[in-house]
This record gives sequence, structure tokens and C-alpha cells, in this order.
Amino acid sequence: MSGARTAGASRLESAAAATAFQKEWFLRLAERARAGEPIALANADAPHELLRALGIPYVVNQWWSSIISAKRAGPASLAAVAAQGMPDDSRQYDVLPLGAQDLGDTDAPWGGLPEPRFAIAERSGDVTHKIFERWGRRPGTETFLLSRTAAVPAPAGWWDRVAHDWEDVFGAARIDLLEGEIRMLAATLEQRVGRALDHGRLAEIMALANEQAEWNRRTRDLLAAARPLPVAVTDIIPAVMVPQWHRGTAWAVEAARRLHDEVARRIDEGHAVHDGERRRLMWIGRGLWSDLDMYRSFQEEFGAVFVWSMYLAIAADGYARYGDDPKRALAARFVGLTDLLYVPPMSSSWYVKEALAHGVDGVVHLVADDTPAPGVITSALEERGIPVLEIRASNADPRATGDVRERIAGFVRERVPAAR
Amino acid sequence: MTTSAPVIGVVGNDVPRQLLLAVGGHPHRLTGSWEGDIDPVAQQLLGATDVAVTRLLTELREEARAVDGLVVCNDSQAHLRLFYVLRATAPELPLHLLDMPRDDSEPARRFARFQLEALAAFCSGLTGRALDDASLADAAVVEAALGDALRRLRVRRRADPPQCSGAGALDAILDAARLAPSEAVSRIDAAQTSVPAGVTRVHMTGSSHPDAAFYRELERDGRCVVVSEDHDTGDAAWLGPAASGATVAEVIEGLIDAHFERVTTSATATSADRVALTREVAQAAGADVVAAVVRDLDEGPLWDLADQRAALEGRPLISVRVTPGAETESARELVRGLVGPAVPA
Ligand code: SF4
Ligand code: SF4
Repeated sequence: MSGARTAGASRLESAAAATAFQKEWFLRLAERARAGEPIALANADAPHELLRALGIPYVVNQWWSSIISAKRAGPASLAAVAAQGMPDDSRQYDVLPLGAQDLGDTDAPWGGLPEPRFAIAERSGDVTHKIFERWGRRPGTETFLLSRTAAVPAPAGWWDRVAHDWEDVFGAARIDLLEGEIRMLAATLEQRVGRALDHGRLAEIMALANEQAEWNRRTRDLLAAARPLPVAVTDIIPAVMVPQWHRGTAWAVEAARRLHDEVARRIDEGHAVHDGERRRLMWIGRGLWSDLDMYRSFQEEFGAVFVWSMYLAIAADGYARYGDDPKRALAARFVGLTDLLYVPPMSSSWYVKEALAHGVDGVVHLVADDTPAPGVITSALEERGIPVLEIRASNADPRATGDVRERIAGFVRERVPAAR
Repeated sequence: MTTSAPVIGVVGNDVPRQLLLAVGGHPHRLTGSWEGDIDPVAQQLLGATDVAVTRLLTELREEARAVDGLVVCNDSQAHLRLFYVLRATAPELPLHLLDMPRDDSEPARRFARFQLEALAAFCSGLTGRALDDASLADAAVVEAALGDALRRLRVRRRADPPQCSGAGALDAILDAARLAPSEAVSRIDAAQTSVPAGVTRVHMTGSSHPDAAFYRELERDGRCVVVSEDHDTGDAAWLGPAASGATVAEVIEGLIDAHFERVTTSATATSADRVALTREVAQAAGADVVAAVVRDLDEGPLWDLADQRAALEGRPLISVRVTPGAETESARELVRGLVGPAVPA
């Protein structure tokens, strides 16, 4: 780390720290839950900040699912789902935690998730509500569903406006509905846990989350401008995602700041993920968790590095919501968050903006079954002269992604000329 | 009137037709098909989507001008995707999304009111006529007459032996959702066929049927007859309900009540509600067997199967998953399952 360019730089400290913190945190939470404290299982797009303000510890369904996969408990969890007569080939990523509840403490990762007192989700897609309906049938668990309205209106160029101008970006009627439901949920939870929601506390949590988003924005801007890429995307992802699950805490703000500083330092020191960087690639869609090495495997032959994933970018552009009424701002945070990633023209215009800002030469677009209208995103990029490879696969299913490396290699060879 | 009324295409099953009729529109339900062509561009735009909807997009890309405007309901992922794709690729088509909430509550009712008012405004824009008390009352009368005709059809199907085949009934219901109200009533009343006694009576659940091809295949050799269904292009199509009231606001309130009272499609209703509906209708129709036909990528119904199996005491449930191109084989396989090996082919 002398200032000379260091290729294949060692793992980010922020990433290692976040991952270690996360396991610690989970074990503590599980202990408290076993001692009788009510915990919640919340979907990634549920209003977590409300739970935090009420002092209800929560585990995020998609995060827990990623741990179940990483600890190789996925197949057994899916088998448990199938044993109950449910499909094991639909919404695997969302249903793994439900299946894992039947595994027993020794087979489930980290001793398993203690039965949640509350299960909370926004209705997304055709099935999430049915999975959460099942959670609500477990003894001791109560399910709450929030509405997911569709992306109408859908303005392009939302990223400069959404933090302040969210009434306009999402439409007041949609925010009214979710805010009303959040108020109802708050009242019920207050009653269940016998605590009152402190508005000052919620406002504080919202402010911390905004601060965290601002750090993420600075980090993203640094990475967009840096040549060559100083930190691998696979390192950035845990360093940004773990703090997302703790959004609204001082720890999370600090973690986001630390990530920023570490990235800045690496840039100053002249780090390069790969010394002969000649092609910069963007990865659109969820990560391919079954093959993380894949992201590095085009460096030697093609000088191709993956410089972008949605995790940091949406954390940078998608989350900040300023406003005087914390419940309404909270509704505005979640009312259309995933639409920003998936629904054109919000999604397509944003990917184009990010691709240009990062100097991307080619895009690999992983299209999962639940990605709506992928073709529109692909054509928006190609219209700007950025070649796109669409791969249709579930990120959780290794069978579907077997030939991904060969396909990406072929794509880079044939369609992504070396820019440098 | 029928020829001059602007045709408002409807995708999905949440639209209260009374509002469309009251502003002088001609509702025309669009469902795609079991076996039509698939345009690769439509496929690429939609991604992994229920093939019936991909076929529908294929049709719309060929002749979008067959309708004067299009209302798409947010009642399944496939329909919502179709809306997003059309919004992004067919700027010339007047397009509107009806986004009805699912769980009844005060904020949900406020949003539903906003949605129905926006729907009426969109349709008024197509027809040039505003919503008023008198036209809403007239529309209620014609829509209710269609509801009565559908009840008569239901009685014929449930008779023993049935007085209408499943395919005949489904054809009529799909036509009724496309005809002017008065013609729709005669179309429904004309749906009568003789079915021999002793045929296996089938209740159909699972995915909705874009046309009657699957029913026809199922009933082809006369061993089965579909006497009832709970999917939303058949007997659960939202045809007939109408609200009365002294003012526009009261009618809209009545329509919101009706929306929250019915059991909607699998993608939006709980498994518990879906299963209760399946059990009740299959029972009332005296079905011998329940058949669940689930199209690939139409995931909602898959999640109801376990509950359905458990709840249909005494009535077997046979399910098939249908992949594109294998529709006919799936129907034949289903017949074999339904009538069992004991019955000679
Ligand atoms: S990747 Fe998409 S689906 Fe998964 S948690 Fe994030 S927003 Fe939700
Ligand atoms: S986003 Fe990635 S690193 Fe973070 S918790 Fe999920 S799977 Fe793990």
C-alpha cells in the first residue's frame, strides 16, 4: 500500500467489518428473541424505520434468505416448502426463510431464526402476500401486509428530485395510501408491544438514514469518476448492504462514512482492481451469488472489470427523503423504491445515466423471472450505443446460470471493444 | 349505438363496467389466447410472463387501433408488466392503469375512490361524455340485466345433466364481455347445449382461460363437462354488478363496496379466500372433481393448491401445469386423470 498501484487489492476493511458485525448482531437478536422479546421478519421493502422507532428488532427476509443460501441450507429449506405442498420453483428467494423455519436449530444457519412475532411485507408481485399469509398461520406470528401501488406517475430523471420533491415524483395519492397504512400498522404494533411511538425518535431515525444515503452518494460519485476501478464491486456490495439493514442507526451512518473514506484512500493510493483495465462493465440485476468469482474472471483475458452494481447506486440515489412529517417521508421512501430499479422509464433512464457516469463500455443484464419489462431497459441502453447482454436466469438457482461465464466472454469478445 | 360508441379495451378483472357504460363507452375485454402466435419482440419486451399476456401484447402490437383506448388492471404481475411495456412502447395508444387496493381500510377506500374517479375521467376523455346520475342509473339497469342472464346460465350449468357445456358457457361469457349489453344478454341466454347424463362434472380452478380452447379439448370426447369455475374469465368475471345511488359519489361508494366484497383472482386474493370460494362453488355446482389448470409463470394459483387439496374433502383435486405449446396435451392428460382408467376411452 505504498502509493504505487496495487493490483488485486486486499479485501475492504469496511466489508469485513460489516460482515462480522452482522453475525454478532444476529446472534444477539436471536438470544433476545429466545428470551421472549418480540421480533419482526420484514421484507426488504417494508418500512423498517417504524420498527426501529418502536424498538422492535427485525430481520430482513431477503437478507436471511441470502444467509440461508450462502450456508448451503437452500435445498433443505426448499424441500421443506415442497413438503407442505407449496411450489419449490416459484419465488425461491422469498420463500427460503419460511422453509428454513422447519429445519431445526442445528440445520438452520446460525442456530436458526427464532419465530417472529410479526411478519411484515408490502404486497409485491403475485406471491409475496401468499408467502406472508403462511407466516401468519404459524403459531405466535401475526402478518401485516401493506399495499404496493403501481408506478403511476413515472417520471424519468427522478434522481435529482426524489429526496425533496417526492410528493410529485410518486404522486400524493399513492403516498396517502401507504402513509395511512403505516399509521394503522403503527397503532397496532404500539398496542401489541405496549409502547408508544415517539415521533421525535422516528424523525431522528429518518435523519440518520438520510445521512447514510448522502455518504453512499459521495462514495458512488467517487467510484464513478475513478479510473481505474479502485475496489471490486463484490467488496462494495456487503459494505453497503449490511448497513442498509441497519438503516437509521448511528452505526450504519458510521459504516457508510467508513466505506467512503476507505474508497477515497484507495483512490488516493492509486489502487487498481486490475492493472490492465481496458473495458468497464455494468451488472444490472441482482447479484449472481452462486458464482462470485465470476465477476473477476474476465480481467486477465479481456481487461474487463465490473464497475457497477445496483446496490450502491440505489443506496446513493434512491433512499434519501427529507420532510417535516417523518411518517409521510417514510411512506415516500418505500412507496416506489423498487419501481426506480425495475419500471421504465424510471429504471431505464437511471441505468443510462449511471452507465454514462461510470464510463461503461458494456452491460450484462441479469433478467430474473420477476423483472418487469426488461426489454425496455435493454433498448434504452443500446440506443445510447452501449451494448447489452441479457441473461435470463434466477440469481438463486445455479442450474439456470451454468453457462454464464461463456456467454459473457463471448459478448465481451464480440460486442465490447476495448476502450483503453 | 353499438357501432359508434368508442371501444374501451379492458385487460383484467377489476373494472366496474357501469362507469364505462355510463360515459357512453363500449367495454371490450381482452384476454389473449391459449394458442395464438407469439411475437419475439413482445416476448423480449415482457420478459418471463404468462404466455396468454404475451399473446395479448402480440395482438395489440399488430392492431392496437382495434380499441379506442385501453384500461389495464393491476390485478396480476403479468397485466402490470403489459401496462408498463405499452406505456413505454405505444405512445399513440390512450392507456390507463386501474390500480385497485386489496385490503379494505379507510386509506384503501380513499385510494380506490381516487382510482375509480380517474378511470371515469379517462373514459370520459375517450367518449366526450361526463359521468352523471342519470346515465349511471341507466348503466346500472343494463349491467344488472347481464348479471341476471349470467345467473340463469349458472343454473343451466348446474342442472343434472347440465344444459350447457363448459366451453359453450365460457365462449358466451367471453363474448358477453365484448358485446353491447343488450346483445350480451341474448348471447348468454342462447348458450344452451345438451349434455348427456352421467358425464364427469368438473369444477375448474387455477389460471384464467383466455379462450375456450382448453375447455373444448377437455370436453371433446364427451367424458367430462365443466359445470363451474372460479377463475376470472369464466363465472368469476366481474360482469353484472352495478351500484345504485342518488349521486355519482354514492354509486362510486357502492362500487367500492362491491370491489372489496368479492373474491378476486389468485394473484391478489389470499389463499384462504380463494380456497373458500373454490369449495363453495364446486359444492354448489355438484362437481365430482376439481381441476386446477395452471399456466407456466402464472404463479399465484400454485400457492393455493396445498390449501385447496386440504379443503376439498371428498372431492379429488387434479392439477396440471401447462407449458406453452403443450396446451392440448395437457388437456388430454387432465382428462385421463379426471375420468380415471376405469372409463373406456
Ligand atoms: S434486490 Fe430487489 S428484490 Fe431483492 S431485496 Fe433488493 S429490492 Fe428487493
Ligand atoms: S446484499 Fe449480498 S452481501 Fe448483502 S446481505 Fe444480501 S447477499 Fe449478503
